Amino acid sequence: MNKENASILICDDSILARKSMSGILNSLGFSNIREVSNGQAAVDAVKDEPTDIVFLDIIMPVKDGISATKEIKEISPNTAVIICSSVGTQKHLREAIKAGAKDFIQKPVEATMVKQVIDHITV
Amino acid sequence: MNDQELLNNILLNSTFESKKSEMDEFTILYITKLVSDIILYVDADISLGDITFCDSYNLEHEVSQEITGIPSAYSALDGNIKVLTAFAESYSNLGIAEFDSLCRESLLDFLNLHNGLFVVELSEKNICELSLGVPKHGNSYEIKPTSNLHGHITLIPITFSYGTITFVLLRTS
Repeated sequence: MNKENASILICDDSILARKSMSGILNSLGFSNIREVSNGQAAVDAVKDEPTDIVFLDIIMPVKDGISATKEIKEISPNTAVIICSSVGTQKHLREAIKAGAKDFIQKPVEATMVKQVIDHITV
Repeated sequence: MNDQELLNNILLNSTFESKKSEMDEFTILYITKLVSDIILYVDADISLGDITFCDSYNLEHEVSQEITGIPSAYSALDGNIKVLTAFAESYSNLGIAEFDSLCRESLLDFLNLHNGLFVVELSEKNICELSLGVPKHGNSYEIKPTSNLHGHITLIPITFSYGTITFVLLRTS
């Protein structure tokens, strides 16, 4: 996966969170970025287009991030799901990992954390 | 003065200490974390006003989020449009000048961030494992006592250079 063609999906019901993550990813050199605002839309987006990385919030309307992670991993096992939430409790972490998430970023998101996680995925 | 000293200073210069005996541990931790998060993510130049308790409260513009689990709670923030708009801009730095959808999103985002960090703190201290509902906004909304009301509504006024925002916390179980 290289930055020029990596396909990234940001899923968060907060427009601020999406703007922030999108800005960070742009600054890291990624340009193929899509955004959706709930878990079901993320599942649909992964069905529609091959996706390398999904940044997924947990608390969202329609479908939460944990349920969406399970479905995304069934549809596209090679897609790396990164949970990105303010609710980084041990319980949520366990649920996220069990659902198939690769990593977890505690909000508020910082560029160094995002870079670290992407570097970890791409190793 | 570092953030911890600033937090202690703000709490000591308020009615927080004298009202502690009227609050449960959940509420005390919530207020402490709220002031700390505002210092970190919004503005350090704040004061904590007189914490009061009531049985019903009318929100001018509902910006709220449920904290779910045991215990559970209803949280919200309230203020006039001008102050809410200034708060939203101070938090997001997105050039927000009107009480529009981006402003409401910003308020919800702060409430969600703070509540999330509060839930994480409770988890890390092995107090309890809670989660959050989807944050929501609407028009004016009256918080009324219900059968599952647990204690009183706690009103937490935080004063900024541009006015006061009242944070609302209601234990529901």
